[in-house]
Amino acid sequence: MERLKKLRELKNIIRLAAAALLLWLVGMPPKPIVVLGPQQHVETINPKMGVHTRLTDEVEEWKIKRTLEMVREMGAPWIVEYFPWAYYEPQKGRFNWEHADMVVDHARRQGLTVIARLGFVPEWARPRGSTVAYLHRASFDDFGEFVYAFVSHFRGRIQHVIIWNEPNLSLEWGYQPASPERYTELLRFAYAQAKQADPEVQILAGALAPTLAPEGSEWGMDDLVFLQGMYDAGAKDYFDMLAVHAYGWKFPPDDPAAADQVNFARAELLRQVMVRNGDGGKKCIITEGGWNDHPRWTKAVRPGQRIEYTIRAYEKALEEWAWCEGVVLWAFRYPRPARTYQDYYTFVAVDFTPKPIYWQVRKYAQGER
Amino acid sequence: MGGKVRARHILVFLVIGLGVVGLGVWYWLGRGEEKDHTWAVIQQTGVLRVGMDASYPPFEEIDEATGELRGYDVELAREIGRRLGLEVQFVNIGFDGLYDALIAKKVDAVISALPYDPLRTQDVFYTMSYFNAGLVLVVKEGETEDALSKVEGIESVDDLSGRTLGVEWGSDSDAQGRRLVKRLTGLTLHPYSTPLDTLWGLKNGEVEAVLVDAFSAHHFIKHEGAVKIVGEPVTDESYVIAVGPTSTELLSALNAVLLALRDDGTLIRLRDEWF
Repeated sequence: MERLKKLRELKNIIRLAAAALLLWLVGMPPKPIVVLGPQQHVETINPKMGVHTRLTDEVEEWKIKRTLEMVREMGAPWIVEYFPWAYYEPQKGRFNWEHADMVVDHARRQGLTVIARLGFVPEWARPRGSTVAYLHRASFDDFGEFVYAFVSHFRGRIQHVIIWNEPNLSLEWGYQPASPERYTELLRFAYAQAKQADPEVQILAGALAPTLAPEGSEWGMDDLVFLQGMYDAGAKDYFDMLAVHAYGWKFPPDDPAAADQVNFARAELLRQVMVRNGDGGKKCIITEGGWNDHPRWTKAVRPGQRIEYTIRAYEKALEEWAWCEGVVLWAFRYPRPARTYQDYYTFVAVDFTPKPIYWQVRKYAQGER
Repeated sequence: MGGKVRARHILVFLVIGLGVVGLGVWYWLGRGEEKDHTWAVIQQTGVLRVGMDASYPPFEEIDEATGELRGYDVELAREIGRRLGLEVQFVNIGFDGLYDALIAKKVDAVISALPYDPLRTQDVFYTMSYFNAGLVLVVKEGETEDALSKVEGIESVDDLSGRTLGVEWGSDSDAQGRRLVKRLTGLTLHPYSTPLDTLWGLKNGEVEAVLVDAFSAHHFIKHEGAVKIVGEPVTDESYVIAVGPTSTELLSALNAVLLALRDDGTLIRLRDEWF
């Protein structure tokens, strides 16, 4: 009888222990499904190769990791990624770096160098009804403080920061007239704050849209004129490198540069402006560019031409453009289809299926043709 | 006294409640019977406004000599107009603006070599397909009709093991070819710069089959000959007509005409005429 009672007690203890174990297991935080993984390195014959990723609106971590793995596997050590101010400082002084950390940490683990592009004004820093590219002079301080916070947070992880995007277009300047003087002022604020946060960080200016806008156009200003305007306004002291946008449209990369032509080699003309202004010691990085193979877009080329031109562009920068540190082409993959000609700039489809251009560029990076 | 007031309150709440429910039911029932105002206006004016990006020959382009629109889609739209007793008014719009024009009611329909897009079906209605521009497999004529056809003939992509297939380098046909290489033993790809070069490669005997878009294939067959399409289309790129999200009657009318055009051979005649 006594033995039976003891056995029953033992069974109860085992049941309790099992229940406690179960509760403990249920209560444990789940193991992360996606991990950073071991440190990787990019293998390539051309260290100037790069692609612009589009991970800002990519929510799922595995997609972020897969994208960056594929960039590494293609042989491109550089990426440009967009870090919208409004996403990371939704309220003045309140920062949330969670998503940005995820992108940057995965990129670094894949052996990639991240160039961060900053822009996109939060609602609290602009008048009601204005666009996300509108920044009033009175809010330059706010942007400067964001730059300080960003550079401080990513100190040692991000060494290149682009200030704004295509400020020579009215669209990208909040539908105000393009103003090299005003952009230079913004640059001055951003530069001072960035250097205070990390003296080693490289501030990239410009990222100007290649455009032949006539003088007085309400839509934008010729990029060569705008850059000279920046120098006239004293921009030389407020940037370390020039970000260049180099789209080829229908022309091959070796098509000669001309002031009245938009082509890949137009980058050389921007370089000449730098040299003319005694700024030849600084380097450039092409932070957007490339060719499109949409079957109907008037500025598109055939898919085979796109492959040839893309590889030649990487080659040209390596062999002929010592002043160009990297060539980052638009765009590796979109998080969802744009359903316009824009889809024909990508290297990889939304579902991660590599396009033939991906395989050919990868072969090139591995030293095969 | 208090009981009467309470009863009145209950009655008022009941009436309001019934009214709200009644309005909800009326709205819910009415939703499904939204009137097709577009069709009513078309009937009233006798004009069908067709949006098109006239930069994609031979489907649509501007004739340099006359300044007039011409092409497969132009003739298709005119034929639809004839059968519906409507005058067709063309509105030339850039390809990326076609959907916006439709949604903003600047046009009644888009006829512009427009591929069916499953992601747009909440915004617009699509008709049945009138042309499939997807990839097709093309071989030399006579290839499957000779004595060896049963052994060596190519009737579909599954027969490509051990063959050489021509593709346009970097294009969808290249991507499709690379997929086939993984699946079929001994298949070799031969890249060309354009679909036309690819088809010439076939005609000249450099490859045994090619993958090209249906339009290029039909065009080459008509103008150069000696090659033919075999099997079903390898991929689907269905060209459709798009109408607004409330244009149900217009959609029915267009589908009825397209069916008739298919059944009486008009679609094939248009294809032969323009490709």
